[in-house]
Amino acid sequence: MIGYIGKRMIAIIPIVFIATLVTFALIHISPVDPAEAYLTAAHIYPTPELLAQKRHEFGLDQPLLTQYADTIQKIAKLDFGTSYLTNKPVWDEVKLRLPATAELAFWSMLLSALVSIPLGILAAVYKNSWIDMVSRAISYIGASIPQFWLGYLLIFFFSVKLDWLPVEGRGSWENLVLPTVTLSMILIAVYTRLLRSSVLEQLQETYVKYARTRGIRERVIMLKHVLKIAISPLITGMGMSMGKLLTGTIIVEQVFSWPGFGRYFVDAIFNRDIPVIQCYVFLAACLFIVCNLLVDLVQLVMDPRISAKGRAEH
Amino acid sequence: MSVQHRKSSALTLATMLLLLLVIVGCSNTGSADKSSSAASDQTSTKSITMSWPRDIGTMNPHTYNPSQLFAQSMLYEPLISYQKDGKLEPALAESWTISDDGKVYTFKLRQGVKFSDGTPFNAEIVKKNFDAVMKNKDTHSWLGIVGVLDKTEVVDDQTFRLTLTEPYYPVLQDLSVVRPFRFLGEAGFPDDGDTSQGIKEPVGTGPWMLADYKQDEYAVFKRNPNYWGTAPKVDQITVKIIPDGETRVLAFEKGDLDLIYGEGVISLDAFQQLRDNDEYVTQLSDPVGTRSLLLNSSNPKLSDVRVRMALQQGFNKQAMVEGVTSGLEEPADTVLSKNYPYTNVDLEPITYDVEKSKALLDEAGWKLPAGGTVREKDGQQLDFEMIFDKTDPIQKAMAETIQAEWSELGVKVNLTGLELTVQIKRLKANDFDLYFWYNYGAPYDPHSFINVVASPGFGISETLSALPMKKELDDQVHAALSSTDETKRQELYGSILKTLQEQSAIVPISYIKKTAVYQKKISNFIFPANRDENPFVGIELGNQ
Repeated sequence: MIGYIGKRMIAIIPIVFIATLVTFALIHISPVDPAEAYLTAAHIYPTPELLAQKRHEFGLDQPLLTQYADTIQKIAKLDFGTSYLTNKPVWDEVKLRLPATAELAFWSMLLSALVSIPLGILAAVYKNSWIDMVSRAISYIGASIPQFWLGYLLIFFFSVKLDWLPVEGRGSWENLVLPTVTLSMILIAVYTRLLRSSVLEQLQETYVKYARTRGIRERVIMLKHVLKIAISPLITGMGMSMGKLLTGTIIVEQVFSWPGFGRYFVDAIFNRDIPVIQCYVFLAACLFIVCNLLVDLVQLVMDPRISAKGRAEH
Repeated sequence: MSVQHRKSSALTLATMLLLLLVIVGCSNTGSADKSSSAASDQTSTKSITMSWPRDIGTMNPHTYNPSQLFAQSMLYEPLISYQKDGKLEPALAESWTISDDGKVYTFKLRQGVKFSDGTPFNAEIVKKNFDAVMKNKDTHSWLGIVGVLDKTEVVDDQTFRLTLTEPYYPVLQDLSVVRPFRFLGEAGFPDDGDTSQGIKEPVGTGPWMLADYKQDEYAVFKRNPNYWGTAPKVDQITVKIIPDGETRVLAFEKGDLDLIYGEGVISLDAFQQLRDNDEYVTQLSDPVGTRSLLLNSSNPKLSDVRVRMALQQGFNKQAMVEGVTSGLEEPADTVLSKNYPYTNVDLEPITYDVEKSKALLDEAGWKLPAGGTVREKDGQQLDFEMIFDKTDPIQKAMAETIQAEWSELGVKVNLTGLELTVQIKRLKANDFDLYFWYNYGAPYDPHSFINVVASPGFGISETLSALPMKKELDDQVHAALSSTDETKRQELYGSILKTLQEQSAIVPISYIKKTAVYQKKISNFIFPANRDENPFVGIELGNQ
């Protein structure tokens, strides 16, 4: 098991390497010069001398290969440099914002699990009943409504009209409610349907029929046998969403003025703040790999038929 | 349950718990928040809450982004203040004299001024600030005075002198801008005196002090007890950082915000909707800038003044501005509105006249082929590319309107929506036919405007490059900027503006205005004359 985890962790290196290479190439293909973008953002007129000075300062006057080697070297030392825009160390800026995004991601994940697991199971068990209809309606709405619009609707009803919750900002639990619900809707929609179909599939299996023949109670069959297998795709889905949520819940952060990582990253793109973009790509790659690994480990533990060896060979 | 199964369930649970702990642990480190303190402070009697799309920034008076101009102007003051219609009034300088050759400026500083930490404001600290700015001269080279500033001197405790290498009349205007020539107290200077790398604390002479701040969330400004001037009527201004315009409107409707103001901070639809609601007060400022369309004369088709004139006459500016901006912008007849110095000149407006427009195009040799829809000359079609900022809904709507109107004349327009930075890049590279452009506003104009007319590299001089009198225009600009004679300067401005009006290469579309929406408890809200200043000093609060 430890060897397997180690191998998976080492896999981070080539993935990060490729991710930074692609980012580096994309930044350099873009028609906008980061030095010029920096000066424009600062409302400073980019005279040729000033541009040359900034390019030198940012190391953009070096050959591409040198620039890339330098980037990789720094990332290897976990040195993400200084933001062009704020002149502060990128890592300090990220540390300041990541907890806010993590908080939102955690509660959204929890809420969606709490709603979708019972809803998905009930919808499968009582197929075509009213509860299945309700779950279908929730999934339909959750999957089709744009997040920013849902955000505005929730603010309009629960903050402006009913005055129950704050419009924006971060601080108390009250601030968390609306962004969490907004983020969870799409997750609930996906997870509920995923779980429903996977439970239905398991219920068709012969082991369920045998269990029923042996007189085992339905609840026991469901909880001890069906669910353990049926939940596997849900865990994969949740792991993938976790990476996505942690690397930025951009629209929701924007709508609810949530001081998170997504908002910071969007600003960085517009300002061609390369050190920030590179740090983001690095973190995103690492987070996705770690979440993926955690999913695999959880599944491994839940279903020992999937051997660590087999997984590692994939 | 088998032992094996129990083990695996326990491990699953442990893994899940660990994951939760890591995440919650992460989130707790940052959530020690002060927003509740900000919120409770708002309830004090004389406090107003507004919002701003971006964090206020580092509050360094000598640097630019990410510091926000309005916030910098709350803390730091200029020597000279820019007032309505370009009047220059004493601020930290009580009076000033200019030598006959226009090269030496001597400022008598105001007596009894103190920084917010109680330290005195004197010629020493003025020089220290000027020197800190000039140490990074290149960064500030966009500002005219930086290029001609030769020497700074402390004459005595209350007298400060500037010497220029050559006369440059807009020195006083340049000193009134929000950055970089404003004054940081001694305690704010870093040990090496180089403020470009950061400051220790934001200490200014302005009416406000930064009392509480959480990056990306809020900033609370309190009255400066040592302020030399008339103290603000409200005790506190809370600035909530709300990046989204619609959320800003919802927060205002809920009553969380007392005031929304600025340029483009809320959509025109939202402004219209709030304006129709009797519960709120809305205001529009005087023009702060002109939205213009550049017709690049270096393009051979546009080098003919008849074509440029035909294009300007060929669309209904009035209807377009009213339709697209719901009347929130005002149709513009001249490139610079008349509320700047030297711009109150009588210029013949170029009015909408399709028939005249068609006749001019015919006269220029661009004829409609039989059965065709696009005019042609020497086998070439009369077509242009119009580039616009794809994130700007007004530019997009205007571009589409102009495209439709010109197609009636037999002129084909291809629209290209670009990211703003790419758009600016193409302007500077002179790689465009038609381009939406804005002048700088007060206190930068009109001198910054005429400066770009004559200086290559900004895109405007290039747009005008094929004008037959370009050389003469450039000479007039240089003469106006260095003239020490007020009457002569006015004459030169008049002539420059007249030429530009007649040449129709910069087509004025509309005057942009700032918007303000506020709750009824606020009164005496007046837009600052300086585009970048804050409007908080005069604001009063009722008892609602």
